[in-house]
Amino acid sequence: MTSSVAAAAPSPILSPKVVAAPPPLKAADRKVVPVVVAAAAAVDEVANEMHVLAVDDSSVDRAVIAKILRSSKYRVTTVESATRALELLCLGLVPNVNMIITDYWMPGMTGYELLKRVKESSKLKEIPVVIMSSENVPNRISRCLEEGAEDFLLKPVRPSDVSRLCNRIR
Amino acid sequence: MEYSNLRRQTIFMKKNLFDQGFLDEQFNQLEELQDESSPNFVEEVVDLFFKDSSRLLTNIEQAIDKYPQDFYRLDSLVHQFKGSGSSIGALRVKNECSVFKAHCNDRSLEGCRRSFQKIKREHATLKQKLESYFQLLRQVGPREHAVSSRK
Repeated sequence: MTSSVAAAAPSPILSPKVVAAPPPLKAADRKVVPVVVAAAAAVDEVANEMHVLAVDDSSVDRAVIAKILRSSKYRVTTVESATRALELLCLGLVPNVNMIITDYWMPGMTGYELLKRVKESSKLKEIPVVIMSSENVPNRISRCLEEGAEDFLLKPVRPSDVSRLCNRIR
Repeated sequence: MEYSNLRRQTIFMKKNLFDQGFLDEQFNQLEELQDESSPNFVEEVVDLFFKDSSRLLTNIEQAIDKYPQDFYRLDSLVHQFKGSGSSIGALRVKNECSVFKAHCNDRSLEGCRRSFQKIKREHATLKQKLESYFQLLRQVGPREHAVSSRK
């Protein structure tokens, strides 16, 4: 299975939260060399770090999901619409996306439609897509899962929901 | 000591906000996310909420006054409002939004109007209380933020 996007790094450094100074062996693999605990910006530059595309029309929810992900040392790109997300993905403007996390209900294209488009695209279909929704509608949940969603999170999203999720997707 | 007095006040203030149902657990979740890399995270998100919600409130008001009423649009606007409110732990606001949505469902304009007044009041009260809370936190100082974020 050749996928240009789901980067299966041989030794993914995906441990969440607190990271002490990295062991000397790994230092050679890093683009950024400082031995001190890396500042958040420097961590974003590590080549094999997981990159998440977060889609939500609510600025509040974008801020929260981005913070939750960044606290677990993931690199995050946020967009406010599904249309914009597809644009970026198809134009290759967000390379190496390891996961898409999207709100279900958005004006214009919904998260469900985004999910379908991604799964229909030969270029994008390997990317796990997670749906978030403030409404617990069993019908909706099963439709999303049937359409290939990796998971369905109820809002408000908590750090524990996300870290559980990210641990599965490596 | 003046410092521990202030510290105690912030604890009381927050406890009151929870006891009186203004805030729920989600607010705690946000505070736990706050760290050295974003020491003002909670206040920033709350600011985003109030900026966003003011705009939504205006749109809702306009939609209510429009004739014929578009209950679908009203519901959609309040749904957004409820969503971001719930993301910051604004419990009372969130609950009143649910009431509003029920009125939309029943196509009760009068119910919507009443509920909207309540939403506006809860929104204004919460804004005032959170402003006081953050102001007090600022007086306590960054050291305290770092301490509480480690919990």
